[in-house]
Amino acid sequence: MEVKLDKKYPLDVDATRAWALLTDLKATANCMPGAEITEQLSETSFKGGVKVKVGPAVAQFGGTVDVIESVPAERKMVLRGKGADKGGSSASMDLTAIITADPANPAHCVLNGQAAVIVNGKFAQFGGRLMVQVSDMLLAQFVENFRQTALTLPSAEGSPAATVSAHTAESSSAPAAAPIAPVVAREINGLAIFWSLVKSWFGGLFGKKA
Amino acid sequence: MNAPVQTAEARELALAGMGASRLRKEDARFIQGKGNYVDDIKMPGMLHMDIVRSPIAHGRIVKINKEAALAIPGVHAVLTADDLKPLKLHWMPTLAGDVAAVLADEKVHFQMQEVAIVIADDRYIAADAVEAVEVEYEELPVVMDPYAALLPGAPVIRDDLAGKTEGAHGKRDHHNHIFTWDAGDKAAADAAFDKAEVTVSQHMYYPRVHPCPLETCGCVASFDPIKGDLTTFITSQAPHIVRTVVSMLSGIPESKVRIVSPDIGGGFGNKVPIYPGYVCAIVSSIVLGRPVKWVEDRIENISSTGFARDYHMDGELAATADGKITGLRVNVVADHGAFDACADPTKFPAGMFHIVSGSYDIPAAHASVKGVYTNKAPGGVAYRCSFRVTEAVYLIERMVDVLAQKLGMDKAEIRAKNFVKKEQFPYTSAFGFEYDSGDYQTALDKVLEAVDYKGLRAEQAVKRADPTSPTLMGIGLVTFTEVVGAGPSKMCDILGVGMFDSCEIRIHPTGSAIARMGTISQGQGHQTTYAQIIATELGIPSEVIQVEEGDTSTAPYGLGTYGSRSTPVAGAAIALAARKIHAKARKIAAHMLEVNENDLDWEVDRFKVKGDESKFKTMADVAWQAYHQPPDGLEPGLEAVHYYDPPNFTFPFGIYLCVVDIDRATGETKVRRFYALDDCGTRINPMIIEGQIHGGLTEGFAVAMGQQMPFDAQGNLLGNTLMDYFLPTFVETPHWETDHTVTPSPHHPLGAKGVAESPHVGSIPTFTSAVVDAFSHLGVTHLDMPHNAFRTWKALRKHGAAL
Repeated sequence: MEVKLDKKYPLDVDATRAWALLTDLKATANCMPGAEITEQLSETSFKGGVKVKVGPAVAQFGGTVDVIESVPAERKMVLRGKGADKGGSSASMDLTAIITADPANPAHCVLNGQAAVIVNGKFAQFGGRLMVQVSDMLLAQFVENFRQTALTLPSAEGSPAATVSAHTAESSSAPAAAPIAPVVAREINGLAIFWSLVKSWFGGLFGKKA
Repeated sequence: MNAPVQTAEARELALAGMGASRLRKEDARFIQGKGNYVDDIKMPGMLHMDIVRSPIAHGRIVKINKEAALAIPGVHAVLTADDLKPLKLHWMPTLAGDVAAVLADEKVHFQMQEVAIVIADDRYIAADAVEAVEVEYEELPVVMDPYAALLPGAPVIRDDLAGKTEGAHGKRDHHNHIFTWDAGDKAAADAAFDKAEVTVSQHMYYPRVHPCPLETCGCVASFDPIKGDLTTFITSQAPHIVRTVVSMLSGIPESKVRIVSPDIGGGFGNKVPIYPGYVCAIVSSIVLGRPVKWVEDRIENISSTGFARDYHMDGELAATADGKITGLRVNVVADHGAFDACADPTKFPAGMFHIVSGSYDIPAAHASVKGVYTNKAPGGVAYRCSFRVTEAVYLIERMVDVLAQKLGMDKAEIRAKNFVKKEQFPYTSAFGFEYDSGDYQTALDKVLEAVDYKGLRAEQAVKRADPTSPTLMGIGLVTFTEVVGAGPSKMCDILGVGMFDSCEIRIHPTGSAIARMGTISQGQGHQTTYAQIIATELGIPSEVIQVEEGDTSTAPYGLGTYGSRSTPVAGAAIALAARKIHAKARKIAAHMLEVNENDLDWEVDRFKVKGDESKFKTMADVAWQAYHQPPDGLEPGLEAVHYYDPPNFTFPFGIYLCVVDIDRATGETKVRRFYALDDCGTRINPMIIEGQIHGGLTEGFAVAMGQQMPFDAQGNLLGNTLMDYFLPTFVETPHWETDHTVTPSPHHPLGAKGVAESPHVGSIPTFTSAVVDAFSHLGVTHLDMPHNAFRTWKALRKHGAAL
């Protein structure tokens, strides 16, 4: 099944640092919960994996990530990821990420992501109805990790930015102090996803309509 | 040994023969959990098989790595197509003249296709090992839509058929084309349309659904390497055909193959085909010399075994301005999935779809069905219906409604106007079927009166006039004719074997009896009803008549149970076998009473000397004599076997009416009333008939209101669990009202026609008719199934009727 995502995440990080992190594919991958780059195959091609744990079930996707296009002038990156797990699921994603500066506030930027995710096999069969919500969750976790990691990079002015408040609507539980080392969830936490789904579901039922 | 004197009526009642609502003999074991199903069978040294299945719908197999699986303790073997190749068992013939992969050979054609099997000490190890088999695929473009499959540049689904322009049913004009099958007279139908005063046309999609029996498919195969014989317990609706196929595929003489269908937990057509899992379990048992059990799980059952329907249909009617139908044209694109594995009689790739002229006297008709390959699981089984009859009945009943709507006529009135009249039977339809008997008008009048049809229409008019009405009210009416009891062997065969059926009856010396049959019950209650036929024919109480079926080593050859054929075909075989015994018994009785055979009258359970009430011999007396001291020139014993090749199909019919109230705010459809009148000819056990009708209506309700197999564009089946796939329970199921008329079949020895599938066939279009009727004042002529709340709500919104 195919899920199309088109998201904008305002970040309290300046565009230069965000772009610097985005072009470091290994570091960016590390921001994705459960993901890591294990091997660089060429200048633009990487091998890696994602581990997803939902309750007792663990899916381990192995695959490749290719940089299709990288345009520094537009701070635009086009990636294609493909992977499969041994238990009979496969997934691919075409992702276009663009970092635009926030004209009102040079210390802030917006991370624009457009993704087309295709999932096949058991994940599509069982998880189909949760795909959009789970993707939203994953991206929210990713963006939070991305933001925190980017904040640790040296800024153009030579000092880490001071503001740490979260601007993404989904995550409000960011730690109060900027960490030195990136705070990265190493595994996708099924219980957290579940809880967040329940919250957003009830939120959808009673909150948003009003 | 004469019984105490009782009136004939009392003795007849005591037999519990035909017409008695005898309690089901099977239920004692079923309700105590004492049934014996395939998965209950355990054999010493038995191993367990599980299947590695494709996660994708279309792709090439690049590599299969078994090492990790084989390294798991308790795993005996991992087999792939390459392992079956030397045995030439990696492909197998289908019932439809195509071939199907047993294990995927170089490529996979649909999601959940069988790719490899694992044999292990227990079910858990087998399941773990399945996870450990690593298969690498190269994905290919997927074709899910049969219309897209027929486009010039469409991906090739069946590489193995490259260059084959001739299929089992004629020319193939595209690499994804299977067959085009025509019935009727196209020129005559076209002429009728050219001259027509009124024509209507409607496109409709009959969704892909799955019979989803409570028991999934499975088998226990046990090959004895010393004796060289093979016993297989299997979930099959046709064990004899399985034996023949297994013998043909394996080379083991048919006399050394024993196939046993034990208790079967529902079939509904799903247990007619021969599945790769059976073949693999049998091969594994032969290779390993140990019994091997394979039982699929629910997801495997829904995803990979015989689906039903998936017909994209275009119907057209030509008529006079006053509503007399003059012509019918039908075009169907049939999605058969990746292999043509439809379970139809060999010569009928679209089954009995040409019953599509229905209960109506239509002078000119033509139907064309085009079978197409797509990246879906194979199947096309008769889901509680005679082959493709459900699709045909749906189409014609919908079309008659559409025509009535166009002409502003009432549904009941237009049907009455076009019925085949009582005096026209036997009636030959434009498609060549010879309808045996029917009286549609009497049945229709009975239903309309019972439900106060006029009152319902008046109520509907009031509701329609009220813009604040919280519901839309719809009245559905269907007057269907089925064709069942396949079938005459001059027309019908399965893999070359004529579709007769058989019965062997043996009367024991003390007057009890055993009957062995070529059919197999999957819940129909054969043990109860068959005994009742014998009881009436031979005057033996049904309580002492044992009915056995399903074991090919004891039962006479028969074609099995599906397509409502047990009563029309096997029921007739019982009657005729019993009559052979009756004829011999008369000779024995005449000898015992020292009179001429012609001087005897038969009364319930005894031969009486004409004119002398005191001189008689019961069937029990005769049985004793047959074994004790038969008359000179007669061989001892009292038994007979009969193979019945029916001269024609039977044509049960029914009039169904349904009232629904659709919630304008939620789209929820409440079935307020469902009235089902069935005419299945002579009724053998009214209680079982009622049960069958309740079951069929409930399954019809399931199909119409919720069942579907939703695929995404990548070929993932998104509804293959019972969380998604709708099986109604008591909570959802409406109240059913049943009624009947009796119009016996003139060519059947008992006059019986078969009934179990009528309620399924007839109810589905009734629900659609009712739902569409609720929208008809808004100009809606058709809504595709399933009529679930969400889809109906969307229709309400689209047509401005939502609150």
